[in-house]
Amino acid sequence: MNVGRVLRALLRMNVVEELQYRANFVASLLGTVFWIAMALLTLALFFRHTVQLGGWDYWEVVVLLGVFNALTGVIEAVLRPGIGELADEVRSGKLDLVLTRPVDAQLYVSFRRLDLWRLADVAFGLMLAGYALVRVGRLPSLLDLLAFVVTMGSAVAVVYAIWVALMSLAFWLVAVENLSVLFDAVYEAARYPVSAYPGALRFVFVYLVPVAWTTTIPASALTGRLGVATALGAAGVGALALGLTRLLWRAALRRYTSAGG
Amino acid sequence: MPAAIVAERLTKVYRVKVRDPGLGGAVRALVRPRYREVRAVEEISFQVERGEIVAFLGPNGAGKTTTLKMLTGLLYPTGGRAQVTGFTPWEGGSEFKQRIALVLGNKQQLLWDLPAEETFQLNQAIYAIAPADYRARRDELVELLELSEVVDKPVRQLSLGERMKCELAAALLHQPEILFLDEPTLGLDVTAQEAVRGFLCAYRARHGATILLTSHYMADVTALASRVLIINRGRLLYDGALQALVARMAHTKRLELVLGDGVTRERLAAFGEVREFRFPNAVLEVPRDQATAASARLLASIPVVDLSIQDPAIEDVIRRAFEEGAGE
Amino acid sequence: MKVWLRRYAALIRSAWLVDLQYRAAIAIWMLWNVTEPAIALGIWWSIAGGGEVQGFARGDFARYFFGVALVNQLTLAWDAWYIDRWIRDGEMNFRLARPIGPVHEAVADNIAYKARTASVVLVVWILIALFWPAVRIPFAPGRWGLFALATLLAAAIRFLNGYATGLLAFWTTRATALMELQFGVSLFLSGRLAPLALLPPAVASVAGVLWFPYVLSFPVEVLTGAVVTPDQYLRGFTGQAVWLAVWWAAYLIVWRRGIRHYGAVGG
Repeated sequence: MNVGRVLRALLRMNVVEELQYRANFVASLLGTVFWIAMALLTLALFFRHTVQLGGWDYWEVVVLLGVFNALTGVIEAVLRPGIGELADEVRSGKLDLVLTRPVDAQLYVSFRRLDLWRLADVAFGLMLAGYALVRVGRLPSLLDLLAFVVTMGSAVAVVYAIWVALMSLAFWLVAVENLSVLFDAVYEAARYPVSAYPGALRFVFVYLVPVAWTTTIPASALTGRLGVATALGAAGVGALALGLTRLLWRAALRRYTSAGG
Repeated sequence: MPAAIVAERLTKVYRVKVRDPGLGGAVRALVRPRYREVRAVEEISFQVERGEIVAFLGPNGAGKTTTLKMLTGLLYPTGGRAQVTGFTPWEGGSEFKQRIALVLGNKQQLLWDLPAEETFQLNQAIYAIAPADYRARRDELVELLELSEVVDKPVRQLSLGERMKCELAAALLHQPEILFLDEPTLGLDVTAQEAVRGFLCAYRARHGATILLTSHYMADVTALASRVLIINRGRLLYDGALQALVARMAHTKRLELVLGDGVTRERLAAFGEVREFRFPNAVLEVPRDQATAASARLLASIPVVDLSIQDPAIEDVIRRAFEEGAGE
Repeated sequence: MKVWLRRYAALIRSAWLVDLQYRAAIAIWMLWNVTEPAIALGIWWSIAGGGEVQGFARGDFARYFFGVALVNQLTLAWDAWYIDRWIRDGEMNFRLARPIGPVHEAVADNIAYKARTASVVLVVWILIALFWPAVRIPFAPGRWGLFALATLLAAAIRFLNGYATGLLAFWTTRATALMELQFGVSLFLSGRLAPLALLPPAVASVAGVLWFPYVLSFPVEVLTGAVVTPDQYLRGFTGQAVWLAVWWAAYLIVWRRGIRHYGAVGG
């Protein structure tokens, strides 16, 4: 066996694979750019008829849009390929394979597959937010940035908790194959500041399925709207959310193993 | 009576884009594409009479499924012609499709979430089967395939064997003249395989349908087909009865032995080619014309508890046919 | 003719029974379809405040977006994704070996699914209207009849458009990307995000030249009473007829060419 030949073959194979991923990467990047463009045009349409949306100016809402895209990037890169597969695995019984591994199942399921190319969406979102901040005319202070990091972390924790909660439904509603669609449905509301929604909807998107907070609060940190109390509260909510996922996971696993898998 | 299937020098050549690896190659493929030819099927000619059961045998990628697709109208040949129940398959339209049935071993056509009975009724409407005919045929098929317990359960709850039997029933409700089967016993357990083969024989005997199947499994061929067509690398290597092939290709005989104590593999190798050795059983291969002489020497020289002379396994014969070409 | 009626009856029945098995998943899809107009309504509601946006008060927006929810549910076009998958994983083959083309299965599937889901949307609308006067539509059977016709034509146009786009999968792997592109553009040009009157005039005129207004905005406006004069009705229905012809022709062409291509290069 000619080692050189084997190595060259492996290298060639990897380059081809890389290129294939790169082609998909370009396609998904184009997709992201397209949808950001659509979102900006949507905002432009709204702002043709108003000066403020829930008390936010145009560029402030664009900051929020950037945060939304950054969070979506995290969801696509980490959550959907990982925990998003849980419902399918429960239905097909493949979860058994996961549970026999000598690692913490929740950790494993959540992080085993990362679509790292999608982190480009995160970069895109943050760049958009940064540009919008320049146009707002008020750059965030160091404290603001710290608050942003903390509240973003909390937002990721809350989104993660929502995903775990949704996927746990799969343990009880085994036949439902499109649970992740529920998330997409409700998460659209996070594109706009919470204050933009009228009372009834605000209740749904703030308290029932707390998606609106995941973007409004970090964006508020960047634009200087965030009060200290709310910031601390958000951090607390994030920690609570993580704890909740642990409880949910345990309950779901108990159900899974007791039901015979 | 005109033949059911006529294939004359059927040829299928694909043009496949050649792509060099790396960025440079990708760009080059876009700007100046190069092609290479894949000759999937090369001038295959044969005829199948009405009521025959014929098997296409060959390794993966031999061209069996490609030929099947041309005969069912799914692919256009690059050369040659074909006539199936009097139609040119790819031009036959819905009239042609009413006369044939296609069952794929690896692609299910039954409605997954509903009982097979529902697919039967759907097919009744699609193929415009008269109610009286439908009832009679359905009952006959359910009886022949022993499906009465199974037709009311959702298909997803059935075993693979039960599903294939339901697929066959669904495919035959419109009483096609020709039944095309692509790897019908793939993945089935032995009982199910036998049930399917038994059914196909019985059905053919009752209705005189022509059956053409592709397969990997020798047992399909020996149990069912009166005639086998061996295809390898797109070419037809052999067309005829299976026994004749065995006789022609079998240069050797198998000596199946049960050995006494103390016989080693090396000692046995002196008498012929040792094919299998799992003490006390062994299989020795010797040239056909030396079989009796070798047996006599064996019995004289080493302790042998039992010995029998057999024709070589059909798999070996076929494999040799693939490698050497059966010649004409 | 009777053969075809029986075929469609059987196809619709099968599709209905399969949908019955997937009730929960379908409920989730419906929820997804409804959140988009709900969020848009929420935003416009807060923009309109106590006043109007170019003639649209809060109540007008409410009626408009409820209409959008209903008409959208009746005109959804998902077939491109199925066609793409079937061509790629070989499930197109046995469909092509049948005496009827796969398009009939798709039409029957659409009818069964939309009858089921749209009736739910309708019932929910009626229930909400009991408590919320703003979303009530005045009783006008003549207008409702015209609404039904407009919606039927809209559904046909969108179906043929989606099917023809899906058939491009015979040639390319990006057929579904093309559907997504159309989906994104239709957010504006079909009136899903806002009534067309609120779009910048340049954009609205672009929309007018394409089929997008006729697959959603026109039927909704017939229902909410924004279409009043005979001239407006005429222009709307003529536009629908023209685009129906265009997309039907496109479907036929793509289908014939596609089958030939498939037969040449295999699946």
